[in-house]
Amino acid sequence: MNATRTVRVYTSVGLVAAVVLAVVFVPLLFPVDEQAVDMAHKLQAPSLAHPFGTDDVGRDVLLRCVYGLRVSLLVGVVAALASTVIGTAVGAASAAAGGRGDRLVMRVVDVFSSVPHLLLGIFIVAMFRPGVWPVVVSVGLTHWLSTARIVRAEVLSLRSRPFVDAAISGGASRLRVAVRHLTPAVLPQAGLAAVLMVPHAIWHESALSFLGLGLPTHRASLGNMIQDARGTLLAGDWWPTLFPGLFLIVPTLAIAGLAGVWRERINPRRRSELML
Amino acid sequence: MSAAGNTPGACDPPALRLSGITAGYERRSPVLRDVSLTVRKGEAVGLLGPSGCGKSTLARVAALLHRPWAGTVHLAGQPARGWRYRAPRAQRTFAGVVFQQPRTAADPRLTLHALIAEPLRATGRAVEATDRVGRLADAVGLGPELLTRRPHEVSDGQLQRACVARALVLDPGLLVCDEMTAMLDASTTAALVTVVEDYRARTGAALLAVGHDRTLLERWCDRTVEAAGLGAPDERSRTPRARETTPAGTPASGT
Amino acid sequence: MNQAQTTTAPGPKTATEPGPAPSAEPLLSVTGLTVRFRMRAGRQVAAVTDVSFGLAPGECLALVGESGCGKSVLASALLGLLPGNARTDGSALLHARGGQPRLDLLTADEPTLARTVRGRRVGLVPQSPAGHLTPVRTVRAQLTETVRELRGLRGPELAAATVAAAERAAFPADHLDRYPHELSGGLAQRAATALALVGDAPVLLADEPTTGLDRALVDRTVDELRGHTADGRGLLIITHDLAAAERIADRVAVMYAGRLVELAPAARFFGTPGPRHPYARGLLEALPERAFTPIPGMPPELDALPAGCAFAPRCPRADERCATRPEPDDGLACHHPLVPAGTASEETHA
Repeated sequence: MNATRTVRVYTSVGLVAAVVLAVVFVPLLFPVDEQAVDMAHKLQAPSLAHPFGTDDVGRDVLLRCVYGLRVSLLVGVVAALASTVIGTAVGAASAAAGGRGDRLVMRVVDVFSSVPHLLLGIFIVAMFRPGVWPVVVSVGLTHWLSTARIVRAEVLSLRSRPFVDAAISGGASRLRVAVRHLTPAVLPQAGLAAVLMVPHAIWHESALSFLGLGLPTHRASLGNMIQDARGTLLAGDWWPTLFPGLFLIVPTLAIAGLAGVWRERINPRRRSELML
Repeated sequence: MSAAGNTPGACDPPALRLSGITAGYERRSPVLRDVSLTVRKGEAVGLLGPSGCGKSTLARVAALLHRPWAGTVHLAGQPARGWRYRAPRAQRTFAGVVFQQPRTAADPRLTLHALIAEPLRATGRAVEATDRVGRLADAVGLGPELLTRRPHEVSDGQLQRACVARALVLDPGLLVCDEMTAMLDASTTAALVTVVEDYRARTGAALLAVGHDRTLLERWCDRTVEAAGLGAPDERSRTPRARETTPAGTPASGT
Repeated sequence: MNQAQTTTAPGPKTATEPGPAPSAEPLLSVTGLTVRFRMRAGRQVAAVTDVSFGLAPGECLALVGESGCGKSVLASALLGLLPGNARTDGSALLHARGGQPRLDLLTADEPTLARTVRGRRVGLVPQSPAGHLTPVRTVRAQLTETVRELRGLRGPELAAATVAAAERAAFPADHLDRYPHELSGGLAQRAATALALVGDAPVLLADEPTTGLDRALVDRTVDELRGHTADGRGLLIITHDLAAAERIADRVAVMYAGRLVELAPAARFFGTPGPRHPYARGLLEALPERAFTPIPGMPPELDALPAGCAFAPRCPRADERCATRPEPDDGLACHHPLVPAGTASEETHA
C-alpha cells in the first residue's frame, strides 16, 4: 500500500511539474505565433515535424495545445483561488455570525446552488465582451458555494470544541480565537478545496469556450480547439480533437492525485498511527 | 491535603456563588433546574454525580462558558456581566478550567509550550511566558524536551499535565476541574491533585472539582455536594426526542 | 524464562461460587511478545518488550499500567490490528479448541484473522463503544448482521438469536431498535459487549472498557464482563482503573515502559502481602483510598529506554544493581522486591 502511494505521489508531482514547465518554457523556447495560419500544411497527420499534426488552417496542434493549456491553467488557478477566498470568507463569516445571519447566508447559498453552474456561468460571461477575465469572473463567482459550505461546517464543529472553551477561559478575544485557533484548522481543508477546484475550473473554461461563449475564437484554448476540430473529426482527422482532449484530462488527473495525497496527510486518523 | 487551613475570612465574598441556575441545551429539557451552590474563598468543593446529571454544565456555567437561562453567577462577589466572549476578561480568567479530555481541550497545532503560554499571549503578557511556563512545567513534571512536542506526540497523562499548567498560568482565584482525572491512571491523578493543592496552598484559590469518583473527591475536597441534591433533574430521559429536535445538531448530553 | 507457574489458573475467586477447574491447557499463551514501531528518522519505539503470560479458561487477567505504557498496543497486536510500521516478535498462541486449530496470532495472515479469529476466537470489547457501533443503524440491525455473519442463521431463527444475544449482555430487548446515540454510556457498552459475545469466542479482550463511565457503571460493566467467564471463557481486561481490576481479576499483570514488571494473583496483589514490585506498590499507594501520593517523575519515553531497569530513575530502592535490567523470574522483574520471593511463590503454587 505504501509502495503504490509513493508511485502515485511521484507520478502526480511529475505530471504537474511537466505541465507547469511546458506552459512556462515552450512559449519561451518557440516564440512563434501560434495563431499564424498556414493553409499549405493544413490537416497533416502527426509526424516528426508536427508531433500532434496540424489543424484545419495549418496550425501546429502541439504548440496550440501548450498555449491553450497555459490559458486554461491561468483561468483555472485564478478562478479557483478567487472562489476559495470568497467561499472561505463567506463560510467563516456565516458560522461566526450564527443565528439569523447564518441562516440567511446559507439560504442564499442554497438558492445559487440550485441553479446549474454552467447556466449561471453563461449568464455572467454573456454580460461581458469575450475575453479571459469574464471567464475567470464567471467561474470564480459560481464555484465558491461548496467551499463556503465546507468551511462553515468545519468552523461550526471546531467552535464547540473544548479547546475553544479553554481559549475563552484563558482570556482570548473572538478575533484571537478566529485567527490563532480556527483559521489554521480550516486552512488545510480550504486549500484542498482550492486545489480540487483548479481542474474543475479548467473544464468550465473549456466548456464555455466550446459553447463559443468563452475566449475569443482565435485564441488558443483547449475548449476552442475542440470546438474548432469538431468538423474535422467527422472527416476522420482525429488528432486536432484527441490531443487537446488529452491535455484537458492529464492535468486533471495529476492534480486530483496530488489532492488525494494531501487529503490523506490532513486526515487526523493518520496521526494516531502509533496508538500510544 | 486540602487547603482548609487557609481559614476563609468570614467577611470575604465567596469565590463562586451560583444562585437559581437553570441551564441546558434544548429548550424543553433543561439539564439543571434552579441550582444554587457557593464555594467560599479558599474552599475546595467536590461536586458528585453520575454521568449526564448536568454537573459538567454547572462547571461550564461557573467558568462563564455556558450561558444559563435563569439565575446569577457571582465570581469573587462580582456578578457575571456576560458569557463566553462577552464576559469581561478579568472575570473570565478568574476561573482556571481543566477539562476531562485533554485531547479535545488542546489545540492540536500548538506545542505544549505554546499551549501553556497561550493565556499569557491572549492577555498581552507574552513577555512573562518563558519564565512562567518554565516554572509551571517544572511543577507539573514536564521536561523541556516534552514542551517542544505537539499533543499527538505525548500521552494523555502528559497532555493533561500541560492542561493543568495552562489553567494555572494566569493565577486564577478559582479552579474548575471538570472530571480532570477520569482518563488518567492512579499515579498521574495523585500527581495532578498534588499540583492543584500546592497551588491552592500557596495562593488561597478556591476549587470546584466535578467528578463521579466519591473516594477521590472526598479525599481531595473540604466538602462534597451531590449534584442530584442541588435541584438537578434526577434522571434525564434519553429518548429519541433528542434526535428529532436537533437533526445534525449538538449532542444532548451535558457531560 | 520461567513462566510455567504464571500460566497456571488460580483457584476460584470466591468460595461460594467455584470457578471452572484449572485446566492444564491455557486458551492463550503469549511468549516473548515484542512490538517495535519504526518511525521517521530511524527512530524506533519499543512499545512492548518480551511480554509473556497465559490466559486459562474461566480466568480473568487484568493488565494494568499508566497511559502510554504499551497496554493498548499489546491488545492491537493480539488482534492483528497493528499499523504497517510495526514489527512483532515472539508468539501469541491461541490453543486448539472446539475443532479450531492452534494458531499464532502474530504470524497469521489477515484473511485468517478476519475470517476465523476476530469475533469468533477472540471477542473485542472496545474502549469507546460509541465509536465501535455504527451511528446510523439501530442496535438490532448491527446485532442481527453480526449473528448472521458469525452463526449463519436466517429468518425467524435469526431474529430469536439476535434477542438472545442481546440478553446475554443484559442489553434490554426494548432498546434494540434504538440508535447508538440514544443509549446511555452503560447501555452502549452492553451493546458492544453483546456484539463481542455473538461469536462465542473463548477469549474476550476488553480494552479500557470503562473509560469515562461513572463508578456505579464501571462496577456493573466489569461485573458483567466477569460473569461471561463462568462458562469457561478467558477474559483479558486492559485498564488503568485499579479498583475495577481489584473487583474482578484473578491475576494482575503490571506493565511499565512496555514490559511486564509483575504478574501476581489479585488477592495477594491487592491484599497482603501486597505487590512486590516498587512500581506496582507506587501505583497502589497513589489511590485516593490509600496514601494518595504520586510516584515521582514520569515514565520514560518508549523511544529512549534506559539500558537497565526502566523504573530505576523513579524508584526509592534503586541502587547500582539496577543499571542492569532485572530478568523476569517467578512473575517479577526487580532486583529489590518488596516482599521476599519465597512467601509469594508459595502462594502462587498453592
